[in-house]
Formats: sequence, C-alpha cells, structure tokens
Amino acid sequence: MAMRCKRCRGAAVIEVRRHNAAFCRDCFFHYVGQQVTRAIAKHRMLAPADRVLVAVSGGKDSLALWDLLLGLGYQTDGLYLSLGIGAYSERSKRVCEEFAAARGATLVARDLAAEHGYTIPEAARRGGRSSCGVCGLSKRYVFNRAALDGGYDVVATGHNLDDEAAVLFANTLRWDTAAMARQFPVLEATRPGLVKKVKPLYRLAERETAAYCILKGIDYVVEECPLVGGNTQMRHKETLNRMEEQSPGTKHSFLFGYLERAAELLRVADVAELAECSRCGMTTQAPDDPAEAPVCAFCRSKARLVKSLPVVEGSGEPQGGAPVDHFEVTAG
Amino acid sequence: MLVTARLRPPDRTVEVADVRRVVDLLGRLDVLPGAVLVIRDGALLTSQDELRDGDRVEVRFAISGGS
Repeated sequence: MAMRCKRCRGAAVIEVRRHNAAFCRDCFFHYVGQQVTRAIAKHRMLAPADRVLVAVSGGKDSLALWDLLLGLGYQTDGLYLSLGIGAYSERSKRVCEEFAAARGATLVARDLAAEHGYTIPEAARRGGRSSCGVCGLSKRYVFNRAALDGGYDVVATGHNLDDEAAVLFANTLRWDTAAMARQFPVLEATRPGLVKKVKPLYRLAERETAAYCILKGIDYVVEECPLVGGNTQMRHKETLNRMEEQSPGTKHSFLFGYLERAAELLRVADVAELAECSRCGMTTQAPDDPAEAPVCAFCRSKARLVKSLPVVEGSGEPQGGAPVDHFEVTAG
Repeated sequence: MLVTARLRPPDRTVEVADVRRVVDLLGRLDVLPGAVLVIRDGALLTSQDELRDGDRVEVRFAISGGS
C-alpha cells in the first residue's frame, strides 16, 4: 500500500523513519524549513541583519542550505573555493555559478592554487596529511579569512546530521575530547580574527538534503569527490547507517544526546590557551612551551607543502594561516 | 517483470527481474534504503511504491564523504 503523508494524508514521496513519518512534497518542504528554523532559533545562529557567507561546494547540502537561507530572507552570499581537483572542481564551480545566477545571488570565488600555491591533489601526493585532512584544514582557513576580508558576520556550512554523527563517532572512538568540545552547531567568534560559524542543517539527514534538492529542482554535483573514496568518514557513515537501519533514530539520539547532555561538560573542560600565529596573525592554540613561537596548523602544513612543490608563478611565500581549528577535524 | 536500475555514484546500470516494490529492488541490490533515494521519471519513490515491468529507475546514493 502506498505511503501517506503524515501531515495531509496525501501521497507521500519520502519517508523519515527516525520520526516515524512520511511526507508529500509540500509537507516535506514544511518539515525541512521547520527543522532549519528551529536550529537557527535554538542556537541563536543568525540575526536578521547579519551578513552571512554560505560555504558552497556544489554538493547537495551546501546548495540546499543556501536555497533555504535565501528563502528565509537572510542576507547571504556564497563562497566557492576551488580545490584544483580537475574536472570535478570545474563542474562544482559551474554548478555554484549557475545556482547563484538563477537566483540573482552573489558568489565569491577563491582559488587555493592561485592564493596559496597548492592544489588538494598535490597536497595528497606530497603532504603529511590525508587529502581530506588537508582539504578540511584549507577550507576552514579560507572560509574564515574570506569572511573577515568581506566583512561578513557569520559563516554557514552545510554540515548535516549524518556528518555530525560520523564526526562525533570518530572523535568518540579516539576519545578526542578537545575535538569533541569544539563540535557544536554554533561556534561564536570568541576572539578578533575568528568569525562565528553555524551549521543550520544539523537537524536534517543527508538523505533529506538530497531529497530537498531533487524536489526543488536544484542541480547539484552527484559525483563523489574522486579523492574521498573509502575514507574514514565514509566507513563510519556506513557503520552508522547499518545501525540506523535496524534501529531508526540511532544517529539522532547519539548526536542530540551528546549535544544536550555532554557537550557542555566537555566545553567547560576545554581550556586550550589561544595565541596569535607568529606567521599569519590568525588565532591558534598556544604551544606547550611558552618560549616557542606559535605557528598554526595551516601555516605548518602549507610551509611543508609549498616547499615540496615546483614554484607556482605569483604564489610567493606562505602568506596566510588557519585560525585555531574552529570546526571539527574531518576524518580522512 | 524487469526493472533497469542506474546506481550512482559512481555510475553503473543493472537489470533486476521480479521485484514488485522499491524495497524489494533495494534488497536485491543489497542497498540500505536509508542511504539512497529512488527516482523514476524525475519523481521520488518511497520504499513501498510499486514497480512496473520496464521501469527505469535511478538509485541515488545520498552519502557524501567530505565536509
């Protein structure tokens, strides 16, 4: 028997098993909007006057987020960072440009190779971090820097419930309490040089953001990043999805239980001292030895990478650095 | 009764015989229903929707590895 919509009893197009619900197209849009509005209100993510920079990759989550925030009337611009991953990056950029043009919205484009002298494939071949690790580090730096440069109040990213549950799972397996303490739907700008970060989609599963795009007719990049195959986060997501299949709501309970009952305890315990990076001036964690000059993770990684690469015309010396990891480390 | 299913990403197409509903198709493909969306003629299908002989559907994985 065909499924019926939980709200209007019409024909359903999508099930949301963790809520024991199914929705028709219009009621699904209502549900998605309600989840995002609730996330924004609960954590005071955005104020009406805020200028919001939405980090967009061309994927389902970030484009759904931008579309939703535009629909809710927020002042948003998109930020696309070209990672130099061949045809994949070219297609991703084109999708973001077309999305922005169709809505009369502004897309800010940055380029890792042009601004910092390396691409992610080069970093994957030569660096000390995994491709996903250096990609996450680079994005966090550029997002923060671009927001500062453009005078934005907030950076919004498309992290969803599955992303957050998988990162929490990885951090819990390692008992990485410092990373766990920084995993929250909103991170305030606690120092000059840090921009507020928000994750308005954290209440929505990624299957729901994909469905939102399909039902809204949003063209997104379906292909997976060619560098991501079999990475740790994918394996963790598969594990969690198998548990979810047996027991719907497992991911939701895991993440929301953490946020409601444990996150605050860890945040209080996270007493990392912050300092200014001696190379780029951005905020980073102070070294254990007070005699040692603070150097942020981005500057260390970039120096290592750029040194091992052929000179790129116009790239110059390392000229920037990442702030203290303001979002969780992406497992790679 | 034959259904053609295009699975992506990455991108491969298979033919599956004798499946009545979407949930049966996903079971035969060994795919978790919670990880995919099934699309026919641009419309989303739920796990209980019936399939027809000659249907061409897309089984789209909704899991991304980077963030």
